[in-house]
Amino acid sequence: MSTNAPIDADIERALIDQSHLATLGTLVAGVSHELNTPLGAIRSNHDVIERALLKLQDILEDEVVTPDELADVRRIVRAMDGVLRTNGIAVERMSQIIHSLASFGRPDRAEVDLIDLREGLEGTLAVLHGQLSDIQVARELEEIPEIRCYPNRLNQVFMNLVHNATQAMEPGGTLTVRTRTEADRVIIEIEDTGKGIDPENLKSIFKPGFTTKGRRVGMGLGLAISQQIIDHHGGTISAESEVGVGTTFRIELPMDLPASALEEGDTDATT
Amino acid sequence: MTDRNETTVMIVDDEEIIVGAIQSFLEFETDYSVLPFTSPKRAIEALEEDAVHMIVADFMMPEMDGVSFLTRAREMQPEATRVLLTGYADKQNAIRAINEAGLYHYLEKPWDNDALMLIIRNGVERALMFTELQARISELEEANSELAGFRERLIQAFL
Repeated sequence: MSTNAPIDADIERALIDQSHLATLGTLVAGVSHELNTPLGAIRSNHDVIERALLKLQDILEDEVVTPDELADVRRIVRAMDGVLRTNGIAVERMSQIIHSLASFGRPDRAEVDLIDLREGLEGTLAVLHGQLSDIQVARELEEIPEIRCYPNRLNQVFMNLVHNATQAMEPGGTLTVRTRTEADRVIIEIEDTGKGIDPENLKSIFKPGFTTKGRRVGMGLGLAISQQIIDHHGGTISAESEVGVGTTFRIELPMDLPASALEEGDTDATT
Repeated sequence: MTDRNETTVMIVDDEEIIVGAIQSFLEFETDYSVLPFTSPKRAIEALEEDAVHMIVADFMMPEMDGVSFLTRAREMQPEATRVLLTGYADKQNAIRAINEAGLYHYLEKPWDNDALMLIIRNGVERALMFTELQARISELEEANSELAGFRERLIQAFL
């Protein structure tokens, strides 16, 4: 595919669909991984409760509790204390994951809405928590005003940038997420301490089909689609990188959507 | 210091809920003393103090991965049996690491408690036998050296 020619509308739609699928794949993998840990703990605890119940039934069967059995009951009580505590944390964790997921890509949410983008960034970090387990996450999230935008599409951009950053880094790397306001624009930066992009490749990263990850469906489209989404919002996306040091993606967005951004049939919660 | 006569199992996972679940299960099912850690670095400090029979460690941890941790643990307490807990996604890497680091077993998350119990009981048994063997070897070496001294003195007496 020529990377410089304007993209035909049908191809563009196909690329967006493919990118949605890739994002969805990352999302599903992230959520499955995230749920697996609390689920594993609850499953083990459920097994302990079953064993404890059997033991208690056994002890109570002859209606006489021997000193040895009393020691067993004490042991069960101690174990149940731990089981309850762990289950409480695990259930809370699962609720948080579901909550993040719900606010991340709600189909019932209006396409256009007034939101604080830090919510989307936090949601992205929560959903990709599994990928970030061996990476330090630094949040430098300054207060920013709510902006009128397509939240689900911007979440897709954040997800893509954070996912790329985690892929670029070795364990022990640092992901920094920043927000601030400059003049009348909201700035979002996603910085990694990964291997960096050499200057030759840096020129091409926003071109559709460009990838250094090998050929896979949906690969090489993420940044092109991200740029398209940001363009659509009347914003800009750029990258600075130094090989061996890391890469910073910077997004600038206006407070309001340009009139040209609104598509026919879109629901708008702000009107 | 942990009582050397008590069977001690160390559990290391950065996820508090995983450590908690395994600890509850072992406390219910066994008389083992459980040493729970969410930090591999803290666990290494503890290994300088406490002798353990069995170490169960997670693979993906932010401070230090499970294989590096267990390799360090082997240098400190070679007689302790070492087991790696892995998520499905990192299974291939984990298996490679197990072969390289000479671990006893690996267990996939989410784990089955019966399988965990079997691995831990066998692992503890193995550690106890290893310790016993080491003690016997030491006794033999001591007896051998005594015998050599005795032989030496005997030769000297006749010369």
